[in-house]
Amino acid sequence: MFFKRKKQQALEPASKEQSYWSGVRKHFYKSKPAVWSVRILMVLIFVALFSDFIANEKPVYCKLDGTTYYPVCKDYLVSLGWDRWDAQFFSIDWKKADYESVVWAPITYSAYTIDYSNTQFKSPFDAQRVSSKRHWHWLGTDEIGRDVAAGMVSGTRTAMLVGVIAMSIATIIGVFFGAIAGYFGDDRLRASRLQIVCNFIGLILGVFYAFMVRSFALSDGGVFFIEMLKSMLILLGILALANLLALALERLSGWNKKRALPVDMMVMRFIEVLNSIPGLLLVLAILALIKRPDIFNIMVIIGFIAWTGIARFLRAELLRVRELEYIQAAQAMGFNEWRIIWRHALPNAIGPVLVSVAFGIASAILMEAALNFLGLGLSIDQITWGSLLNEARRDFSAWWIALVPGFAIFITVTIFNLIGDALGSAIDPRLNQ
Amino acid sequence: MLRYFGTRLLVFIPTLLVISMVAFALSRLTPGDPVECGFDGMSEMNLGTATDRNTYKETYANEARVKGLDKPYFYFSFTSAAYPDTLYRILDRFERQSLNKLIAQYGNWPRISEYYSNIQSLEEALFSMPKNQSRDGQIVLLRDLNQLKIAYQKESITALLDQLQKTVQADSLLGVHLANPASSLAASYQSVQSETTPGLLKIPRLYWHGIENQYHHWFSRFIKGDFGTSCRNSQPVLDRIKPSLFWTLMMSLPAFFLAFSISIPIGVYTAVNPNSWFDKISTVTLFILFSLPSFWIATLLIVFFTTKEYGWFMDIFPGVGLGDLSTSAPFGDRFWESSAHLILPVFCMTYSSFAFISRQMRRGVIDVIRQDYIRTAKAKGLPKNKIVWKHVFRNSLFPLITMIAMVLPGLIGGAVIIEVLFNIPGMGRETVEAIRSRDWPVVYTVLMLAAVLTLIGNLIGDFFYAMADPRVTLDSRN
Repeated sequence: MFFKRKKQQALEPASKEQSYWSGVRKHFYKSKPAVWSVRILMVLIFVALFSDFIANEKPVYCKLDGTTYYPVCKDYLVSLGWDRWDAQFFSIDWKKADYESVVWAPITYSAYTIDYSNTQFKSPFDAQRVSSKRHWHWLGTDEIGRDVAAGMVSGTRTAMLVGVIAMSIATIIGVFFGAIAGYFGDDRLRASRLQIVCNFIGLILGVFYAFMVRSFALSDGGVFFIEMLKSMLILLGILALANLLALALERLSGWNKKRALPVDMMVMRFIEVLNSIPGLLLVLAILALIKRPDIFNIMVIIGFIAWTGIARFLRAELLRVRELEYIQAAQAMGFNEWRIIWRHALPNAIGPVLVSVAFGIASAILMEAALNFLGLGLSIDQITWGSLLNEARRDFSAWWIALVPGFAIFITVTIFNLIGDALGSAIDPRLNQ
Repeated sequence: MLRYFGTRLLVFIPTLLVISMVAFALSRLTPGDPVECGFDGMSEMNLGTATDRNTYKETYANEARVKGLDKPYFYFSFTSAAYPDTLYRILDRFERQSLNKLIAQYGNWPRISEYYSNIQSLEEALFSMPKNQSRDGQIVLLRDLNQLKIAYQKESITALLDQLQKTVQADSLLGVHLANPASSLAASYQSVQSETTPGLLKIPRLYWHGIENQYHHWFSRFIKGDFGTSCRNSQPVLDRIKPSLFWTLMMSLPAFFLAFSISIPIGVYTAVNPNSWFDKISTVTLFILFSLPSFWIATLLIVFFTTKEYGWFMDIFPGVGLGDLSTSAPFGDRFWESSAHLILPVFCMTYSSFAFISRQMRRGVIDVIRQDYIRTAKAKGLPKNKIVWKHVFRNSLFPLITMIAMVLPGLIGGAVIIEVLFNIPGMGRETVEAIRSRDWPVVYTVLMLAAVLTLIGNLIGDFFYAMADPRVTLDSRN
């Protein structure tokens, strides 16, 4: 899309696209670093998506004893449980098999493949003992003979996953809290005392019946997600009942004087509590509670910690937006508050959210790399940029391990920072004067 | 003004309490037995005499009492009516957990407690047996009993009970001593299963424990500066932390002053002369510095500049650690030795914050330059230097106040990765080592201290900000 930018601009009449976002996009693509960052990001996403076809010890296509195989694709089917490997493949050495014809992946090693003839840090320029130049370790090997290039490819997937998973969680939580804090402020969410009391009791009873009564079912009975879903439904049901009760009581008693709830203050205090604990320490302390932590736990934990930035930016923006006239008009027309937030206020405040998501991805990737680098609480066979970089400390002569993974982290962090910067100035034209 | 400070202080206290509760909850959720942490190699698994067992139980109970673990967790507990209010008196954490799960399944505490005391009496009978007879059977029995104490699933309990019966019946001597308690144990499990009261589980109940609880104990000690004892060598946590605090300060104070003293002039200069060649170069450089992960730079520096691996001329700095001069060496030598070792870590800590501060400073100054009063100052012909330092700089200091307050806790918390990489025994490395060796008292003390310091930093920052810019206090009045 952006490769054709200039041509399209010339063809389209200037007056056609006049919306806010087209202006932002135009401004964004004016910045050269941002365009290059997006291009590099596309490459990274491509590598992450197709990492199995880029670095794999199995051939992509091969013909063996007159039969055609697509081992990489077959691997997907096997892991889904739809297919099985024949017995002859259990002990096959893919590199030495007698192929009639074969197509290898660009890197002929998987991240976990151990090349026993090239252990103890073989540099790219060392005399590597490989059967042909096709199986050369282009970025050298590590201590136990794993291919660094293959590790880099699998690390790309991890880094992108961290960005996506951690930031999706953070965005959902951050947008929710930022929206209610910013839109309602300390004065706009009004509830009667009966409502507050009923909701409070409902919450306590809901937690009791949903989680404490069902604690055994949650921890030991059946599939966790299904049980959790049931618990959530119970909790929501009880809360709904409590609100109905409050409504009925209000009608009956006539006590319906509403007072404002300090939503903004509560959310900001909550954020202050979370922010006062150093992020890395908090992640480590929570990781310690998990019996067998893996990379996904880390992503989820980072997501649960990183939402505060998004929430704060969105809150600040919404505090401004909510005073605008069109919001008052929407209120005057009697729209539901939640509808106003979702349909009218949020779309006009989403800019800062995008900016802080871009910066957030950078810091999430950085934090994940740092954790793996420290080697805390992770299984050893998980290969990421951070864990690769960590190996550089074992042998100072392995300059390629010191350089390559760190450079990848640096580039990724930089492009997300650049994108965030460019987005920020594209969204807020005041900064460009 | 006073009113603003008053409300700010009032908000500080509940925040602190909430943080202390979070830290406390985390510390109680950690795996492992908190009583046995710091025990010197004693374990219940060994088959000793009855007196051995009693001594162990006594030591265990004593240790629990000293650590305050024989109390309920919090001021109140909110559970279902099926749970007894005194379950906390069972000191062993794993036994308590399995009892909890049994109650969650059957809801019948009287029967379950009977079953539990039958396990105890079988164990007592086993220990009071003569030790020289049928020793193998006794060891097998003890192992099964220990598993039974922490089993809660129906299948595993039934299997263990069957196995137990078989071992008792197989040996005539064991049969003589243990047949009765073993059969009553099996019978009591039967009655646990048959006489369930699931209705009790559905009745909520609030129980008030009062101030005799673990949180109160822990927090009041924390405020007095008693952070408990480390698991690794039973040293008070404070004594463990003190030397590491020294090294952390030795690193972070120079880094702090360096970062601010370089970045403020750069920030001001680039903002006052925008689009100059220096501004362009420094913007790019600062951006790159800002994105460079410090652990990568640290690794590169260590790999390339501390050894002769890449030629003698690359061996510029001493290796990681603090050198091997003993404490008896003259002060001057020790000072030079450790300074030489601290150059690289301080550099790594400085450059990233330096980039951050310069960028913030530049933005702050640019914001001020756009103000009308600066235009007025220019219009009335004030010299540029005077405008910059008297009008612009002083007004752009506000973001700096917040930034200094933000940096303060980091001074003491230390830079975890840098310390680990350069092997400097500061707070960060101490924490990582404590996590690795599951020394939770140290970990949560550091966590709590860091959080409290951050809160205090925020508070101080707000105070100075309000002193510098009294408009802030107006907000709180309406």
